[in-house]
Amino acid sequence: MSRALNILGLAGARAAILHRPHPTVAAIERQLAAIGLSANASWPELVPGMAADFLFFDVDMGFDAQFPWLPGQSPIPLIALIGSEAPGRIEWSLARGAHAQLLKPVGDHGVYSALLIAQATFAAQQSLSAEIGDLRDRLAGRETVVRAVMALVSQGLTDEEAFARLRRLATDRRESFEAAAKRVLARTDSLPVRKGPR
Amino acid sequence: MRRRVEIGILHSSSGDYCAIAAASRAGALAGVSDVNASAQSFIEMMPVLRDPRGQVDLYAPLCHDILTTSRARHVIGCATSSSRKEVLPVIERHGATLWYALPYEGFEASDHAVYMHACPNQHLLPLLDWALPRFGTRVHLVGSNYIWGWEINRLAREVVANAGGSITAERHLPMGEIAVASMVEEIADLRPDFVLNSLVGTTQYAFVAALRAVRPDLPVLSCNLTECELPRMGGAAEGLIAAGPYFAETGTGFANSHAAAAHASVIEMARLFERHEGGEDMPLAELLALDQGAGPIDFETHHTALPVLIAEVRDGAFQVLRRLPPVPGDPYLARHDRRAPARAQLRLVP
Repeated sequence: MSRALNILGLAGARAAILHRPHPTVAAIERQLAAIGLSANASWPELVPGMAADFLFFDVDMGFDAQFPWLPGQSPIPLIALIGSEAPGRIEWSLARGAHAQLLKPVGDHGVYSALLIAQATFAAQQSLSAEIGDLRDRLAGRETVVRAVMALVSQGLTDEEAFARLRRLATDRRESFEAAAKRVLARTDSLPVRKGPR
Repeated sequence: MRRRVEIGILHSSSGDYCAIAAASRAGALAGVSDVNASAQSFIEMMPVLRDPRGQVDLYAPLCHDILTTSRARHVIGCATSSSRKEVLPVIERHGATLWYALPYEGFEASDHAVYMHACPNQHLLPLLDWALPRFGTRVHLVGSNYIWGWEINRLAREVVANAGGSITAERHLPMGEIAVASMVEEIADLRPDFVLNSLVGTTQYAFVAALRAVRPDLPVLSCNLTECELPRMGGAAEGLIAAGPYFAETGTGFANSHAAAAHASVIEMARLFERHEGGEDMPLAELLALDQGAGPIDFETHHTALPVLIAEVRDGAFQVLRRLPPVPGDPYLARHDRRAPARAQLRLVP
């Protein structure tokens, strides 16, 4: 999988910081300003309706109810702000689905690499999820394909011809093999099935 | 009675890139002389000089030496980015300030450093904007084997790809290496439209001479070449193209942009110290907060706005081909105002 970074794509990005007022927040804000990102800090809740492309969140005092999405399903890259390196807190940060981390106290460095790593990890995760979803759908569609082929065979086609027809149907309508099979089944279910030897 | 202010100057007088370091040191010392000679000045600048002799591991200890054996809290110096990265932790620990006045690869904005020369949105990006439509989009990348060469080439690759072009190859040589034959042979074979040259010091001199012998007309572009290195390349330098904030032209006061940027750094230091008594002992962030944007240094990035000039070597001197208005430094290339006109401008010519 390509991990090439698109650094020019960071222009105009916005960051939310979920942390109580603290020198750590000021340090992150300073680095974000130098990089060119706008920042918006809040605690304990996210600002409702605020648009953000990255979220920095406090691992030391953070809790599940702060996030309006299920654990591991954030719509944007997450950067964990870790002060206390206690296993329970790190476990919680992982469960929330952190894509990168920054150790507190935050000084003069770290934000840029955290942004790039979070962005790349998030993108990799998104593309893997999409691929897994697609494979699951196709796995679930296997039975449909078998039934569609059987239906076509029962109408007098050889199994090779049945597969070829499904492939052509899928190509013609630019849909998946499984979707073509579903259509064939929907049509043939209403047709009488020819019984007996060909 | 004038206030005496010590400032550190950390530049190498020997080693692979000493031509650049010497140009920068000369500019800084000229700045000190100008401040001290000025009848209006309230301060007298005392330079504290240290010479790391081009050895990367001597920079941090010698910077520590300046900060512990003198009262200097502002140090101008470092030529390569590797030496700057060595020095910055020492500077930060002492709450001191590094004034870095050479072109660099960007992706840095220390709270304890000022960046007085160009970063990629002030050299590489405008140079590629100019070169790609002019020469073509098959680009060959060569560089010295350290962060400057790596990052300039990494960025060039992204920009060229976004423009629909291609990279014929990317090659790096260690600092000081002069065995350039296979690098040159490959360029002759691959026939790129132009070469982006991020080689430094003696490697660059050897490369230019060898390449010119086989491909005299191939455009060779650079973001780190200035007048101070031309004598070392002689006639082979003819036709080389470089981007920078300044080139010596009729009516300009400095031999090259390294001297101009180092001089501007010292003049700006003096202005800050005179305007804010005790400023010479303050951390940079505090000093800039007091100054409220009166000078050229951007409060957020600690970079400056610089003009962009593209020039070609003709008859042993740079002749400017393209001149763009000042652009603010955008070290991470993520700011909206990347190409917007500048607010405060750095005056390179006093």
